[in-house]
Amino acid sequence: MLIDILQILLAVTGTGVALTRRPVRQVIALGANGLVLALLFMALQAPDVAFAQIVVGTAALPMLFMVVLASMRMDRRREDRREGMS
Amino acid sequence: MKPRVRTALFLAAAAGAMPALVRALPHFPAFGDHPSPYADRVLASAPVDRHVQNVVTALNFDYRGFDTLGEEFILLCAVTGVTVLLRGSRGEHRSARTGQVEGRPVIPPGEAVTLIARLFGVATFVLGLSVALHATSTPGGGFQGGVLIASGFLLVFLGEGYRGWRAMMQAELMDAVEAAGALVYVGCGLVGVWQGLPYLTNTLPLGTAGSVWAGGLMPVINAGVTCAVLGGFGMLFIEFLEETRVNPDAEQDTEAPKS
Amino acid sequence: MTGAWVGWLPWAVAAWLFGVGLYGIISSRHYVHLIGCLTIVQSATYVLLLSIGYRRGAGPPIFHAHPPSTPAVDPVMQVLVLTDIVVGATVTALLLVLVLQFHKRRGIVDPQQAAPLT
Repeated sequence: MLIDILQILLAVTGTGVALTRRPVRQVIALGANGLVLALLFMALQAPDVAFAQIVVGTAALPMLFMVVLASMRMDRRREDRREGMS
Repeated sequence: MKPRVRTALFLAAAAGAMPALVRALPHFPAFGDHPSPYADRVLASAPVDRHVQNVVTALNFDYRGFDTLGEEFILLCAVTGVTVLLRGSRGEHRSARTGQVEGRPVIPPGEAVTLIARLFGVATFVLGLSVALHATSTPGGGFQGGVLIASGFLLVFLGEGYRGWRAMMQAELMDAVEAAGALVYVGCGLVGVWQGLPYLTNTLPLGTAGSVWAGGLMPVINAGVTCAVLGGFGMLFIEFLEETRVNPDAEQDTEAPKS
Repeated sequence: MTGAWVGWLPWAVAAWLFGVGLYGIISSRHYVHLIGCLTIVQSATYVLLLSIGYRRGAGPPIFHAHPPSTPAVDPVMQVLVLTDIVVGATVTALLLVLVLQFHKRRGIVDPQQAAPLT
């Protein structure tokens, strides 16, 4: 029964990730999806996999996304400024 | 192709596949009743033949060790690709100035964040080391321990800011650790070849089940995989976080404060 | 809550995640959003693999606290998913770097504005 609830919750969070258009908000949704996935792995009696998924899905991957978004925003501001000055 | 056409094509394909899926779903094997003879064989033989208690580790590094070698190769290639692409466009220098978006202040980490990051960072390092060492007896292994230690690095960045992070993470050291881990894995396979057996044969003494050194070649391969994953993820984080610094070539048109 | 429908729920969830992720990819307006939807498609395969290996009433395939003959779930599927998660994160990092380089060269972040390279 726990497995069924977690699977339905995973479908909901997965839909949330795909339908969240703005990338910064999508990163939060990705973290939530990673957490639900890790809980589902624990419920499916796979503790090794849940270990890896908790770290990768909630900490490492959202951090990588955030850094790329920040770097893209910095480049865009610098280009706008350079165009404005020239 | 216009976006509307693309969406219409996707919906048409989904509408075509949906009746087939709905019709077939009740006839799939029921969840939880799937017979798997390979799994039964492995579960029966791993504690007896290999003296390990964690059958997933035994599969990963012994029964299917060759597949894990391929996965290591993918890891190495992806990290190399990231390093070449990012350093190729940024150069090899390190910048001390934090990148700044116009109109936003650069805030150093708060004291509560530093305290929590220090406490939990140390705990995460120790947990990662323990998980990586106890690969053959409890849930754990090289992959999990390596990513846990890498997430400890992230906590250091969060709490100490860029200066503390950069003082601790040397890119050359991470590179060497990753390469050493991969080399240990490849070298362990050659132990069998040296004795005239196929590559990656487990020929070291197997030890007693439940101890850290059980499994023959498995703890050595496990240590190699831990170092490779830890070095790989450390390199990834270093290269990514360097992207948030100001490029000195463009310093004449930004006025970013020192962090 | 038992019934006939819980027998095929995991396959339906995996198919739904795959479809939703694919829809997100084709209708995406930002490259980083596209890569996030690719992560959803990957997670559909994880759910499918682990659900194939599950056995009712069985424990994890780790015999530290139980004797080695207790029923356990399929460990082969766990091996596949374990390495897949770690390596998938690295490949996603490589994809993100490609997006970053593309943005630096062309200044475009919307896949529907990017003309084919001629």
